[in-house]
Amino acid sequence: MIDSSFDRRDFLKVLGWGGAAVALSGCGNTSVEDGKETVVSYVEATDFMIPSIGVYYNSTCAQCDAGCSINGRVREGRVLKLEGNPASAINRGKLCGLGQAGVQHHYNPDRVREPLLRNGEKGETITWEKAYALIAEKLQGVSGEEIAFLTGAMSGHTKVLLENYLASFGCKNHFAYEAIAPGVVRAANKKAYGVAMPRYNINKAKLVLSFGADFLGNWVSPVHFSQQYGQFRKGVNGQRGVLVQVESKMTLTGANADRWLVVRPGTEGILALGLINALGAASGDVAAEVKDYDKARVSKDTGVSVEQIDKLVALLKSHTPSLVLAGSAAEGYAHGSQNAAAINLLNQVLGNVGKTVVGAASVPFPQMAPILGNTAALASVSDALDAGKYKVMFSCGVNPVFSAPTAMKFKEHFAKVGFKVAFAHYLDETALQADLVLPLDSALEDWGTSVPEYMAGDDAQINIQQPLMERLHANTRGFGDILLALLKQRNPESYKNYPDYYAYLRGAVLQNKNALGGEGADDDEFWNASLSNGILKLAGPVAGLSGGVSAGGLSLPNAPVADAQYPLHLIPSVNANLRDGRNANQPWLQESPDPLTTIVWDSWVEIHPKKAAELGIVEGDIVEVAGKNGSIKAQAYLFPGIHPDAISVPLGRGHDAMGRYAKGFGVNPFHILDAIFDKETGELAMHETRVKVSKTGQRVIVVKDEGAAGGKQMGKKIAVRTSTDKVDLSKEV
Amino acid sequence: MHRFLRLSILLVSLFAASSYAADATQAVKMTEDSLGPLVEQPIEFPHFRHAGDVNKEHPEKGGMQINCMYCHTFARRSAVAGIPPLQKCIGCHQSIESVRETPRIKKLFEYWEGSKDGKIAAKSPIPWKKVHDLPDFVRFNHERHIKRFVFQQNRPVQEACGYCHGDVKTMTVARRSKTLSMGFCVDCHKKDHLVSAEGGTAIGNQAYWYGFKKPVVNASMPLTAKGPNDCWQCHK
Ligand code: SF4
Repeated sequence: MIDSSFDRRDFLKVLGWGGAAVALSGCGNTSVEDGKETVVSYVEATDFMIPSIGVYYNSTCAQCDAGCSINGRVREGRVLKLEGNPASAINRGKLCGLGQAGVQHHYNPDRVREPLLRNGEKGETITWEKAYALIAEKLQGVSGEEIAFLTGAMSGHTKVLLENYLASFGCKNHFAYEAIAPGVVRAANKKAYGVAMPRYNINKAKLVLSFGADFLGNWVSPVHFSQQYGQFRKGVNGQRGVLVQVESKMTLTGANADRWLVVRPGTEGILALGLINALGAASGDVAAEVKDYDKARVSKDTGVSVEQIDKLVALLKSHTPSLVLAGSAAEGYAHGSQNAAAINLLNQVLGNVGKTVVGAASVPFPQMAPILGNTAALASVSDALDAGKYKVMFSCGVNPVFSAPTAMKFKEHFAKVGFKVAFAHYLDETALQADLVLPLDSALEDWGTSVPEYMAGDDAQINIQQPLMERLHANTRGFGDILLALLKQRNPESYKNYPDYYAYLRGAVLQNKNALGGEGADDDEFWNASLSNGILKLAGPVAGLSGGVSAGGLSLPNAPVADAQYPLHLIPSVNANLRDGRNANQPWLQESPDPLTTIVWDSWVEIHPKKAAELGIVEGDIVEVAGKNGSIKAQAYLFPGIHPDAISVPLGRGHDAMGRYAKGFGVNPFHILDAIFDKETGELAMHETRVKVSKTGQRVIVVKDEGAAGGKQMGKKIAVRTSTDKVDLSKEV
Repeated sequence: MHRFLRLSILLVSLFAASSYAADATQAVKMTEDSLGPLVEQPIEFPHFRHAGDVNKEHPEKGGMQINCMYCHTFARRSAVAGIPPLQKCIGCHQSIESVRETPRIKKLFEYWEGSKDGKIAAKSPIPWKKVHDLPDFVRFNHERHIKRFVFQQNRPVQEACGYCHGDVKTMTVARRSKTLSMGFCVDCHKKDHLVSAEGGTAIGNQAYWYGFKKPVVNASMPLTAKGPNDCWQCHK
């Protein structure tokens, strides 16, 4: 009898041969499909359409709100690849990984393709005529106060149309919600500088001190900042810029810093005031405000050593101008406004305002200016829903059922609305609650204009979005087209000249041709040139910054006290790819490794090795993270770049709807956040949640790209082997 | 001993499996003279009528000597030769009354105007079947070959196309008449081909010598060069 067990090695050898045999049979003509494959030719071709040769169109990236301009390669009528449009001052020809994945949004197999009407638990396909008629019917006899429109950040002509539509009912309930937005920092900037979003000249600074602003990863306009960062590193007059990052959990920017300082969560403002005090440059009420923040106290509160504070002060003195940034890690507390104000005060004391913090150009058409999304809007809409104020509600481009903390009970409140309409690309968590789902064109099929919040160039710019190819699915519609159709129901006379949104857009742009730099140009020529540029540049007014230095109204609370029941701070981290999770159904984003942990396709709990040792946790242990408002379970990852009293779970994963690449991968930390708000702005304090961590007894192998630290490295000893709990990341690199 | 026995059994069964797989994917059996299969096309397109030589005695049996590139217009501008847009066929045929009512032309117009039974919508592309196909791991560039032989060397178009496509001007529906195997390509790339100008001629925006050795100029010998011989030229 032959022993049927095969040696693994033999098996592989044979498999190798087998593979070769298969490969051989693939040679010659066997993989050729002579006479089988159909070759489809054009019916009518224009001169520039040559098979296998690409043509390029400029448009605007819609993956996040930074407003980078894209340049898409289109071949045989299909968009294949996106790159950056060099003409844009924002991204100057570059694009981030999230932007690159825009094609996967367009070709996504899980897009909604037909208007769907709720029939019990199911969605029934209906026609657009019926959908429009239904909306008109439901709006009959409903007053403006009983209608609400929830969107993300919005600008440009769609915003104009939407406002007009709402105005036709006398409705003032337009809420712009973004789950991750620098809402607190905007308010603090407004107070300190007089504008919500100034321009930050990272490239002109000799030192950047960033309090948790992940400007290389996801903060405000990451592609733009990354380019500035490159210039900053090359240096002004040969002096290489120094980056110091202060935060409780290392971000991508923190990983690039010369010095990374870990602070106790929530004490960023205390450190900023301590620095002002130690600099000794302040006078008047500022000096009075900071006099209690001596080094010993600051060091005790923040956990940053006196030695490090001294070093930092020396750096700030020798490197001017510098730039101090307040990021999401500083603003995410109940005293977030105070933190941000203290950090901005440091900027003022250092004399950076007017040098590295300057006014930005703005578009001279206020009706097109962006409505900025924030989390305070969610709180107000949720309360109003709870009070049963709305009979009809529209939601577009947001997914609050996924991204609102369960403690806010948004889903329950939303259910109280009589008729819910969701404009959707996917059947995400919010669309699933709706009564009517209207399928939207992808960003690569639709027309539009937008005005970026962060204006990077000397000139203001309006971004143009145009289709790179024909609609993939016959029954999706552009948001602008839908709005126009709805407006025609209300006001047929005013809009009768616009057969579609394209016509409206063209008309609106040409009407302001002179202001847009097209004075004297032929209409068609100007329009075509604008489309081919993908951007309209215009000299807009530059906001002046207010110059005063004042500590008015600043009162920082003391350092937080430990909570015995929930000893750890939960830091919901924002990953450069997944951000708030709206793009989670794009598999490239799921499979591209997190830049710091290299984990793919799953969530994890970052925990400091010392804390892990204390709790007996090793990498891969499934741990339960429990707070006052629920718990999640995920694999542990030991990470020295986090404060020992904090743990971090990335946002964006943990969908239970949306599509095959999003559903069921990872966990959603949004849901366990406590509903604590910043006291001044009402923004959700994302970093305020306290939790406890316990082992569940299960263990998995963490799927990640990273190899063992200090592995073989071709014998070159590039990185020394140090056990993770011995690593001191605050050392200068 | 047993180990080898086991191995050989595995090998044999795998081989059987793979040759079975080979059979299953074997689209076409090569005939002795390497002709490809007879392909049935939606319209039996008469290449000989369009590109064939003029027949003085029986003009109706001869051709019109239309340049291949008049219809396969992408060949000189792109990697793929392309099938002419339907618009092109119609462009000529709408003014050729004499054949307007023949079955093939009636069929042609069905794709443009739509068929009476409604099975073919107006302006639909004709579902031609591919006659010359290469494996997906081979990248053949028409433009380079046309530029090289037709524009640089002034060879007749039908000759240059014919190197790989055979004598299409005598065919009705085109049929593959060369093996188009790697050996076939390499055979030609090994030969010394005449080149016209010293220093090469611009092809695309590159000198013809780009990446190859410039031949030694010897006044007594004609200037020749070989086709590229790097794997990556075709297997990109
Ligand atoms: S930062 Fe990235 S995702 Fe956002 S607009 Fe720019 S390219 Fe698109």
